[in-house]
Amino acid sequence: MPPKINPSFVEKLLVRFIREELTKCGCAKGLLGLSGGLDSAVCASLAARALGPKNVLALIMPYGRSFPEDVRDAEKLARALRIRSETIDIAPQVNAYFSGYPTSSRVLRGNKMARERMSILYDRSAREKAFVLGTSNKTELLIGYGTIHGDMACAINPMGDLYKTQVRELAAHLGIPAAIRGKPPTAGLWAGQTDEGEIGLPYAELDAILFGLVDLKRSRKEMIAAGHAPRRVDRVMRLIRDSEFKRRMPPIAKLSARSVGHDHLYPYDWGK
Amino acid sequence: MNIALAQSSARLGDVQANAAWHLDALAEARRAKADLVVFPELSLTGYTLRDLAEEVALDPRSDPLFRKIMSRCRGISAVVGFMEERASEKGIFYNSAAFIHDARIVHIHRKVFLPTNGMFDEARFYAAGRDFRTFAAPFGRAGLLICRDFLHYGANYALYSGGADMIICVSAAPGRGVAGGQAFETSRMWELMGEAMSYFSTAFVIYVNRVGIEDGVTFAGGSFIYGPGGRLLARAAYLDPELLVQRVDLSAVREARRKWVFKRDEKPEVILRSLERIVRAPED
Repeated sequence: MPPKINPSFVEKLLVRFIREELTKCGCAKGLLGLSGGLDSAVCASLAARALGPKNVLALIMPYGRSFPEDVRDAEKLARALRIRSETIDIAPQVNAYFSGYPTSSRVLRGNKMARERMSILYDRSAREKAFVLGTSNKTELLIGYGTIHGDMACAINPMGDLYKTQVRELAAHLGIPAAIRGKPPTAGLWAGQTDEGEIGLPYAELDAILFGLVDLKRSRKEMIAAGHAPRRVDRVMRLIRDSEFKRRMPPIAKLSARSVGHDHLYPYDWGK
Repeated sequence: MNIALAQSSARLGDVQANAAWHLDALAEARRAKADLVVFPELSLTGYTLRDLAEEVALDPRSDPLFRKIMSRCRGISAVVGFMEERASEKGIFYNSAAFIHDARIVHIHRKVFLPTNGMFDEARFYAAGRDFRTFAAPFGRAGLLICRDFLHYGANYALYSGGADMIICVSAAPGRGVAGGQAFETSRMWELMGEAMSYFSTAFVIYVNRVGIEDGVTFAGGSFIYGPGGRLLARAAYLDPELLVQRVDLSAVREARRKWVFKRDEKPEVILRSLERIVRAPED
């Protein structure tokens, strides 16, 4: 299993990270999509501590009337954190598109919704002069359980090196309400969807396999010897391999002696 | 003798698939009566390995796929590129090339100059080799270089002084610069070195570069053979895969050395003394 974190120390680090990275860019304001789930709740709570509640805007973006409890939980959390929040129904813009290009694919519809939310976040980012805070955790990033250019899009990501099980520990420490912490994690793309159902194994084991393969650099053989089913280890290895494109900038065809992404290498915090 | 340049691409991180392609290429080269088949740098693994290096590394003395390739080299020689991790040096990874003949490893060269600048990152992941050594190939003395090694002329000199009649460089050189003709501008750099080294070391220079694209980087191809005295004997296509088989006349070394007496008049002991002085007293 990933090691237990010291949540107060991690809180301190991530609060500093959010504050310093945004301040360096000249505006200490952040916004994020608040889904009513665990990850965005933790991110909102960290952002409120880092930037002050007034400098955090939470956009709650349901599709029509689906998931009313999540909307309620999100609105309640925003009030409790005293951050600004707005609820925006994305159904009109999603429906406008699918009325022209209908599909029965839940994945296509779900990805479209994630990207509509992204487009709203980035529009508001420019209007508010605030940066989009990412909420993808390490588990999701490693297995590619996110929509590229959708929920994965952000200016900075405070949570990307915490496994889901570690996010849970941090959530408890930050006082995220039990109603949110107790929910089965879901991407919320359709009713009844749960992460664990879709990924095919519980987070505890998924994180244990990921931690072994990635952090400890264990081999497939060693993971199986440690008691994980070969089928599960193979599945996780395949998920990692097949999702590298989601974790990287797209390849640029190198033609010249100095190419963006290849050998024009400057730090992200250049001059800041 | 006939030399086959296996200018090709590799499947990144898939040793099994690449081994299968090696076997096919060996069979094809054999049909074309090749005596030596040269594969590019890291031909068994692909080039842009980074963290993948440790997953594809193998010990050539025990790895079954490597041994299978060796077993197909009866009566024929091959140069194969691979990521080396010896049982005796666990956790240390070398960018290596093996010269195989008659199902035996005759020589292994570990890349000495690991490019770590601009787009290159090798020294972050691999250990550097520490020697340039010639060996007895069935057709005479030969030496191996891997890609950037070739561009350090001291490396060529070491092989030349070691008696090489043939300098074999395996490469995964990305092309850069598109302001020239139908080739990357950097291809000229390799050809210039090939021409100069073959001219002044009066030896054959075999250069085998790969093709294909990895993570946006295009490998330039343009493998070549220069004969002793700077004669271009063959050049493979730029960018496209090709199994180029070229007949070479080994007596050309003797001919060139009768004409140009560089080798006869060479004074490695003077060079060595000068180098020793330079290395010991860099401030002189």
